[in-house]
Amino acid sequence: MQLDFSARELTIKLVYYGPALSGKTTNLQALHKAADPASSGRLMTLETRDDRTLFFDLLPLTFKSSNGLAVRLKVFTVPGQVIHASTRRLVVQGADGIVFVADSRTSETQNNADAFMDLRANIKESGLTLRQMPLAIQFNKRDLPGVRSDEEIAQQAAQGREPVYLAVATRGEGVVETFLGLLNLTWSTLDSQHDLGKKFGFDQTALLTEVAAKLGDTRSLEAILATCVGGALEVLRPEGSST
Amino acid sequence: MTQPAPARGLDELTLGSAMRLEELVDRNGLAELARSFFELFRVPLRVFSEDGKILADAYETPSLYVYLNGVPGARLALQEVIDSVKAVVPEIGQDATRACVTGAAYRVSAISYDGRRIGRMVLGPFLPPTVREVPTSLLALDGGLDPGRLKALLSEMPRAREETVGQLAAHLVRTLDLILFSGHKALLTSNMHLASVRASFHDLQAKNAKLEEAFERLKELDRLKSNFLATVSHELRTPLTSIIGYGEMLAEGIAGELNPEQQEFVQTIREKGEQLLELIKGLLDLSKLESGTMSMRKANLRIEEILEDVSTTLAPTARKKGVTLATRVQGSLHALWADAERLRQVFLNLTENAIKFTPEGGAVELVASPAMLDLSSDPEAGGFVLMATQRPGVEVRVADTGVGIPEEERKKVFDAFYQVDSSSTREAGGTGLGLSIVKRLVEGHDGTVHIESNRPRGAVFVVRIPAKRSTIA
Repeated sequence: MQLDFSARELTIKLVYYGPALSGKTTNLQALHKAADPASSGRLMTLETRDDRTLFFDLLPLTFKSSNGLAVRLKVFTVPGQVIHASTRRLVVQGADGIVFVADSRTSETQNNADAFMDLRANIKESGLTLRQMPLAIQFNKRDLPGVRSDEEIAQQAAQGREPVYLAVATRGEGVVETFLGLLNLTWSTLDSQHDLGKKFGFDQTALLTEVAAKLGDTRSLEAILATCVGGALEVLRPEGSST
Repeated sequence: MTQPAPARGLDELTLGSAMRLEELVDRNGLAELARSFFELFRVPLRVFSEDGKILADAYETPSLYVYLNGVPGARLALQEVIDSVKAVVPEIGQDATRACVTGAAYRVSAISYDGRRIGRMVLGPFLPPTVREVPTSLLALDGGLDPGRLKALLSEMPRAREETVGQLAAHLVRTLDLILFSGHKALLTSNMHLASVRASFHDLQAKNAKLEEAFERLKELDRLKSNFLATVSHELRTPLTSIIGYGEMLAEGIAGELNPEQQEFVQTIREKGEQLLELIKGLLDLSKLESGTMSMRKANLRIEEILEDVSTTLAPTARKKGVTLATRVQGSLHALWADAERLRQVFLNLTENAIKFTPEGGAVELVASPAMLDLSSDPEAGGFVLMATQRPGVEVRVADTGVGIPEEERKKVFDAFYQVDSSSTREAGGTGLGLSIVKRLVEGHDGTVHIESNRPRGAVFVVRIPAKRSTIA
């Protein structure tokens, strides 16, 4: 996160993580499509081969709240392939929140788990613990055959800590919800650490509702966040951190 | 492990404050673009960085302005206009227009990237079509101005409608935005390339350091092992000598006559004691060879004599096993500069082994012949033809008709305690030390030992030892 008090600007880094071909870039493309043109910059895709990300994708989103605060979101993806370990490590560094995009197919369970272990190691290497990192999980590709059932995911999600969203990123379903779920979590965490609400004088719900509207979702924030299955939406207060 | 920072941090290049215009765009390219724009529309174009540095300038001073600059009063007024144009800081997407005393106009647009202003662009002066007459304010600037001349020059000024210039400016801003985006992308890509190469290098370095550490630890362990072997063998030998000595005394009846059964027991104790002593001696030799403390007493010697001696010594063993043992010398051999006792040990060991592993009715043959030895180390290392030096020497082949040694085992059998098939060796007796000692002793004479197949069956141990230098003609 970067704060510029004089310009009333806040820059937040969000990262879409997950195994190869789970739909991270597709999520960003869907967000880009959903966002109103005034808020969204060009989607930058850095080096691809055979439609696969080699370095990262970057989608800049800028939201200006009615009280003059500019929230700049830099949304990254990482390359999922195992060999790009060092790139993933570089991109994850300094992330304020992470969406883990999992492939819903049962055949991909092991790949999901491996990628998650990789994420955990990378977070640890950047000096944090998984608990301290705002994290939302998305089960993508719900439209494919051979996926884990809604019930199964809901049951397991209920026991976990992270909010879980179901998505079909190719159709844009669940994409904005996942994004807002993570943004809400990240915002709460940053707020608890840096007291943003007081310093900038804004209302989190109002701001996130504005963001949702600019992403084409006019429901109430509560309704949007409620689309998650399981997990916790409250602030994850990092252990031992003083605010 | 700490992660090395990219040449410029990814965060700095994506999250930080605005990128600089001059960093994202090629200056020569920008100048070309401006020039081509000017040639197409005849509207002068200047591009400035955020801190006011001029980056591109496609401008030909109109004759009107050349004339006005020659008149003091007018020059001052023009300068004021230029200063005011330079001072304009337009908001993103909101162009500003400044009028000139000539009736012409300047349009100033912000150049932005990622929502932040990083420079500006000035179009003009251009004359709106509505201005047809020389403005009276212009004439009032200096009494020396010639109205007729002014009118003529005014008609030569580039003309453009304000809206058209607005559209041109918008198009230019969009074009620049694309160029800036591409520039940023290229900058990020090269930085990521650099960063991932550095990260990989860093990882490899860390792995190398670990390997090196492990290697050092292994070397230290090896040294400790040698020390341990030397100490233990030495300590074991002392009491064993007493055991054997007292056994001998018992056998000789010094402590009273023994009955045949007791004789047999004592004999077994002695035999096993001797066997144990051989093993311990072997260990000692090995550790001495490994630590390089084995002293060689080299002298002029002829290999034939040594082979003859070995053959005589082992003839009874061979006979007992029903194996024929023969020694052959082909051609005239060079004299060697070697330790006779150690070479005897080498060939005793090899021949004893050969007899041991040859079944009844088989044959063991020792063949000595002159040979040229390649003294360069490794043909694989390249430049063999340049590096190879040959030296005459003696080759001794100890051939048996036993089970033979499979290709893949041939190097390993020279490792201490290694046995091709431990069951067969145990049956035949042996310590697993002999060959490793043989190899080291041969190497101590600058020689080599390797194994070949014997046809139709069996193995051949080939020992090559270079001749004494002074004997080489």
